[in-house]
Amino acid sequence: MLKIFHLWRMRYALLLAAGLLLASCARSQQGSPAGPAGEDGSVPQGGELRVNMTGEPDTIDPHKSNFATSILVASQVFDGLFKYDQALNLVPAVAKEMPAVSNGGVSADGKTYTVKLRNDVKWSDGKPVMANDFVYSIKRSLDPKLAAKYAPNLYDIKGAQEYNTALGTGDNPRMPDAAQLQSLRDAVGLKAQDDYTLVVELKAPRPSFLHLLALWVAWPVREDVVTKNGDKWTEPPNYTGNGPFMLSTWAHEQRMEFVPNPNYYGEKPKLGKLIFLQIKDDNQAYLAYQNGELDMVAVPPANTRIALTDQSLSQQSLRYNDLVVYGYQYNMIVAPFTNAKVRQAFSLAVDRKSLIDKVAQGVGREAYSAVPPGMPGFDGDAGKQYAFNVAKAKELLAEAGFSDVSKLPKITFTFADTATNRLRAEFFQGQMKQNLGIDVTLEPLDTRAFQQRFNASQYMVIFSGWGADYPDPDNFIPELFKSTSRNNSGHYSNPRVDDLATACQGTLDYEKRISSCMEAQKLVAQDQPWTFLFYREQLWLVKPYLKGLQVTAKDQLPGNRFYQKVYIQK
Amino acid sequence: MFLVRRLLWFIPVLLAVATMTFVLMHLVPGGPWDQDKALPASVVANLNLKYGLDLPIWQQYLQFLGGLAHGDLGLSFTHQDQPVTELIFQRLPATAALSAIALVIALVTGLGLGMLAASHQNTRLDYFSVAFATLGASMPNFVLGILLVLLVSISLRLLPTSGWGSPLHLILPALTLSAFPAAYIARVTRSAMLDVLGQDYVRTARAKGLAERVVVLRHVLKNALIPVLTVSGPIAASLLTGSFIIETLFSVPGVGRLYVQSVLSRDYGLIMGATLLYGFTISLANLVVDLLYAVVDPRIRYR
Repeated sequence: MLKIFHLWRMRYALLLAAGLLLASCARSQQGSPAGPAGEDGSVPQGGELRVNMTGEPDTIDPHKSNFATSILVASQVFDGLFKYDQALNLVPAVAKEMPAVSNGGVSADGKTYTVKLRNDVKWSDGKPVMANDFVYSIKRSLDPKLAAKYAPNLYDIKGAQEYNTALGTGDNPRMPDAAQLQSLRDAVGLKAQDDYTLVVELKAPRPSFLHLLALWVAWPVREDVVTKNGDKWTEPPNYTGNGPFMLSTWAHEQRMEFVPNPNYYGEKPKLGKLIFLQIKDDNQAYLAYQNGELDMVAVPPANTRIALTDQSLSQQSLRYNDLVVYGYQYNMIVAPFTNAKVRQAFSLAVDRKSLIDKVAQGVGREAYSAVPPGMPGFDGDAGKQYAFNVAKAKELLAEAGFSDVSKLPKITFTFADTATNRLRAEFFQGQMKQNLGIDVTLEPLDTRAFQQRFNASQYMVIFSGWGADYPDPDNFIPELFKSTSRNNSGHYSNPRVDDLATACQGTLDYEKRISSCMEAQKLVAQDQPWTFLFYREQLWLVKPYLKGLQVTAKDQLPGNRFYQKVYIQK
Repeated sequence: MFLVRRLLWFIPVLLAVATMTFVLMHLVPGGPWDQDKALPASVVANLNLKYGLDLPIWQQYLQFLGGLAHGDLGLSFTHQDQPVTELIFQRLPATAALSAIALVIALVTGLGLGMLAASHQNTRLDYFSVAFATLGASMPNFVLGILLVLLVSISLRLLPTSGWGSPLHLILPALTLSAFPAAYIARVTRSAMLDVLGQDYVRTARAKGLAERVVVLRHVLKNALIPVLTVSGPIAASLLTGSFIIETLFSVPGVGRLYVQSVLSRDYGLIMGATLLYGFTISLANLVVDLLYAVVDPRIRYR
């Protein structure tokens, strides 16, 4: 008897010891506290910021970048000619000043841009950044062999489109030899007038060109590094940039670690380390935040209510709208959506407030027109005539000849089968049945299959969204609603809107551009090619010791454009 | 001779798998360049030229076979243009480690529970083991995973919630992954052992005065192991292939996650590579099980 008792005690003691050992190992994963205050005495230096980037980026080469995770990474390591301030105004970065007609930076006809660069910008290894780097980089983005996805954003540059399409297509291949390809490259309108002056020639004036020149396809990369390392140039330690941070470690599918760039020309980061974790599952990320493994986290839909109402969590919450609009998009060449009255009736039958509550857990702003608040050209009144009103909806349907809704052709709602999309689809189905008595059939598809159908205009009505690549009006109305635009899969066509959209893209006078786009927006809101539903809002939790975060409406992660301002104060 | 023949069979099997996958992959709607914001036609043209997708399908197939002969499966569209073979071999250790540990845990737990249950049939120990096994079999593994994280990481703060790199990161995912196989092995072991325990030669051994432990270990176990071996092959294979959910939940950088993502994003080279890997692994698992039969059961001999 006694022997067994001792045995049990020993086993229990061992278990306890093992548990304690494990616990002490686990403790050491919490974020390290910041070191003592810096020389200027103002903020603590050397802290660690840990954020979740949700998945491995398909590339971190700025010229090949297409998705948010890629741009997120590249934006820490590279600075382009210009960047955005917190209000999303373009400000000089590597450029010394914003080119304008007044300072000779833009020619009077708007076709030549002369950008003066700062002479103190260095790569992380100390070499100077010069105009030649930009000439090489922009031409690299246009190289057809690179197949950069955002290359067409540079097509305003003289010779750019000819170079980028030099290899033809699968059906019409062209086989230029090396010399021909080189001469096409040389013909692109980019020149380094001297070491620190870049001259760009356009085919035709493009008022929003400076925004395009601020995109990641125009960020500088090192020719010698790329040539020497090929596709491996994006692995640390090769990945050389001129931005506030350097990529020190990349454990694939797990984490990326950045340290400050000692040669950065701008405001030096206060952090000692910036860590992007790759936790794919939203709920796991949320648990990691609660466990002290992350310093900020996106609130998963199921936890939205708690995050907004709980006493301590709501104090950590960060809520802001970004430049994304959501709506139901109609295919206007398919009956019954050929008829404006039917589309307008459908819009009137959707209770947006209820949608935001049910589908977005209350996080979102009602939308009646395309352009979100924060974008130039936002008009809060446009489209309000189609706010929720069931009586009016029925009236319009009757006017369209469908007082008996069974006469309507079968309506199919197509969507990519994810949990969120299901909610959106079922909401639409519910509203139509409840308010108009119309039966809607749901058609779930695999994501890629859906995207293919969407872009090939093979649908009746879908849930759609649009986000700006850059905060200029020509990135919204003209991209979505010009009859020739490839993003207009719903075949919307209004000649007056086409004219206004062209004016919005081409007129040099900024005020005239905005008013053209706003007028176009009013017409679009009248025609209802979409039922605009809501503008997206982000809801995040941020630890109280995380200070200096500066959020814009065009972030990939909150504050990611200004991580050099962030510090940890515990 | 048997071994050589079996190994040679791998080639036509894998070729058939590769061909079927290639065909299905290209029949499925939606391609690698489809996305919400449509890519301009010039971009799609350049992309297809870069990755050889502009060629007619039969030519692409021949090119694939040619590359396969050299161990070259092309570049991954979704992983920094990294060669597919390099990418798969980079991710393989994580999945292999996770699956191996999960298999060991499943075998030890399953055999242990099964043996306990069989040798104490109809006692509380038996009922407990069976209940435990049923729970493991019926709970979806992501539910179990999250529960474990809530309990062990959040409440007890003993282990990290997710990630990879230290032995600590292995524990929760391996436990979660082993739950269902352990339950299954426990049931199989229990019924196999009960079956054997009722045999005459066991009665004889007991009558001869041998200790129960010797009876079980020397006479019963080997025979009871045969059905366990039968299910171990598919279990080992399913651990490797079915680890996707666990890998996603715990952010384990393994092949399972890579595979499913490649299908969803239509990363053709990666789909082919991962499919061939799994085909090879399953064939190998079946071969190993067959060889082990010969070890365990002296009646079985291969020519």
